[in-house]
Amino acid sequence: MIGNRSNEFVRKAGPICVSLLVFYLFLFWAETGWDAYKVRILNLSAIYIGITLGLNLCNGFTGQFSLGIAGFMAVGAYTTALLTMSPATKSAVFFIDPLIWPLNSIQWGFLPALLMAALVSGFVGLLIGAPAIRFRDDYLGITTLGFAEIIRVIFTNTRTITNGALGLKGIPPHTNLYWSWSFALICVFVMIRLTNSSYGRALRAIRDDEIAAEAMGVNLFYHKCLSFVISAMMAGVGGGLLGSLITTIDPNMFRFPLTFTVLMMAVLGGLGSITGSVIAATLVTVAMEVLRVLEEPRVILGIFLPGIPGMRMVVFSVALMLVILFYPKGFMGDRELGLKSIRAFAARFRRTFLHKQV
Amino acid sequence: MSNSKNDFALVCESIGMQFGGLAAVSNFNLQVHQGALYGLIGPNGAGKTTVFNIVSGVLRPTAGSVRLFGVDTTGLGPDEIARRGIARTFQNIRLFRNLTVLENVLVGHHVRRKATLGEALLSLPRYRKEESDMMCNATGLLQDVGLDHVANYRASALPYGQQRRLEIARALATKPKVLLLDEPAAGMNPAETERLMQLILDVRDRFNLTIFLIEHEMKVVMNICERMTVLDHGQIIAEGTPSEIQSNEKVIKAYLGGGAIARH
Ligand SMILES: Nc1ncnc2c1ncn2[C@@H]1O[C@H](COP(=O)(O)OP(=O)(O)O)[C@@H](O)[C@H]1O
Ligand SMILES: [Mg+2]
Repeated sequence: MIGNRSNEFVRKAGPICVSLLVFYLFLFWAETGWDAYKVRILNLSAIYIGITLGLNLCNGFTGQFSLGIAGFMAVGAYTTALLTMSPATKSAVFFIDPLIWPLNSIQWGFLPALLMAALVSGFVGLLIGAPAIRFRDDYLGITTLGFAEIIRVIFTNTRTITNGALGLKGIPPHTNLYWSWSFALICVFVMIRLTNSSYGRALRAIRDDEIAAEAMGVNLFYHKCLSFVISAMMAGVGGGLLGSLITTIDPNMFRFPLTFTVLMMAVLGGLGSITGSVIAATLVTVAMEVLRVLEEPRVILGIFLPGIPGMRMVVFSVALMLVILFYPKGFMGDRELGLKSIRAFAARFRRTFLHKQV
Repeated sequence: MSNSKNDFALVCESIGMQFGGLAAVSNFNLQVHQGALYGLIGPNGAGKTTVFNIVSGVLRPTAGSVRLFGVDTTGLGPDEIARRGIARTFQNIRLFRNLTVLENVLVGHHVRRKATLGEALLSLPRYRKEESDMMCNATGLLQDVGLDHVANYRASALPYGQQRRLEIARALATKPKVLLLDEPAAGMNPAETERLMQLILDVRDRFNLTIFLIEHEMKVVMNICERMTVLDHGQIIAEGTPSEIQSNEKVIKAYLGGGAIARH
């Protein structure tokens, strides 16, 4: 009996352990052998995967149209930065208004700082979510967008904590591929577990029909808060990793376009699809970097082309429109890409193909 | 003993519901015995669904009170009332359209969960046990309503009649004591209706339920309800056994277009 059980455990966990091992070996290879630019893109992909999954939980799986993700990223980024910077760097950075005690004299490790970022952004998520989720659809979107802006304005003005508009510089560059991809993997794990659990079904039920969900005993307030808070926590940790990757942050980084970018990733991949978010976050992050050439001045065939700032976003908007035109529900809709769906697709493909031949 | 209030599964005491100037329901009284199959009938717009919405907590009545097994539930939210043992179906089917048939039923079980979110995320033993119990239970319910062969279809893919039965299975999954069915036979042909009524009777006996059923076509419920209340323009016009109702002057008038004349 026990033997059976552990056999089953080995059968299930074995392949996962092996693929994790291979994956981390790949990360080791990339971290040590790739050039900094590629490593950075790989880091960004992982961070955006996590954040996009968080947004997808709230906006996709639970159907709560929230636009506050940049605000939670800001909370996480500032928390992590303030906790990991050394007192010496802090006193150098806060040269106009000194940082308040006890933040000016502490320095935490990266892991505790990230955990704290999760807690703080989760708490802020609860503070904002609890009143906001009484609204629906566009109203919820506008409310959360407003809250995110308020966070940004507060951060611009609390100079003794955030250094105001000057932002923070010299954040210790702790983020590497192991950190960022571990974060992404944990987010994927949480999402798979959560959305396939009884709680996840309740969230999807809320998305489909709030009134019916409530009549079946689903506590709307609790479950919406739950998804809102988890979403905020993922954004917060993602923000912390991002800050530590690029080593400088300021309030203007966390304006609406950042939320829009993450929202675009979730929509492209498919609201309600974990694999969709992973694919789209990676694709968009890579494309964002590749398309940077559009914004740089360059000479092509002897003609000087000035770079147009913001051109990337124009291209992305067009791409988004095209995708929505051809895939109204994103690449994956609310389905998942797995062995089963690939097999089903292959079978369908074969059937239509053979059919045509005959 | 038998006239002790606790013998009643469901009691409405002089309930009133005012929508602005419109009195959708006024002075509505009701006593449903435990284990009864009770009907609420009346022409369209009489206020039947409004009564259901009040009993299930969707609406807060502007007057009166509701008691479930002697406990006042007036003003509680729908989820709390579901937890206390009232489940319902909707006149305009409200399934979780993008969930599978099985998942729809599993959502009904969610209210009876004991495992916390943490246990679910870590897949701890209590959660796993609960999940497999839920799965067993849900599969059983789907067999009961004859939907086990479509368990993995999206709910929206089901034909109308099956959607109605799925709603019943989903409601049963909450382990209710009282089941409210809002026009369960609407849009069904006579044969389907016949099967459905049989299902309702079976379900009541198997799960020890009290069933409170809305229907606007009198014929449908005459055979299965033990007692019924007739509503017209938000007022009770009759209460009694099917045979009493059938011979009631006011009811005949309301149903034979007399109601239409009375409508000013
Ligand atoms: N939420 C509401 N707001 C305003 N009026 C309502 C509302 N719900 C129902 N009504 C009105 O109350 C009356 C009774 O409706 P309803 O209970 O649905 O009737 P029935 O189910 O008997 O057909 C109707 O005139 C309807 O328009
Ligand atoms: Mg009705």
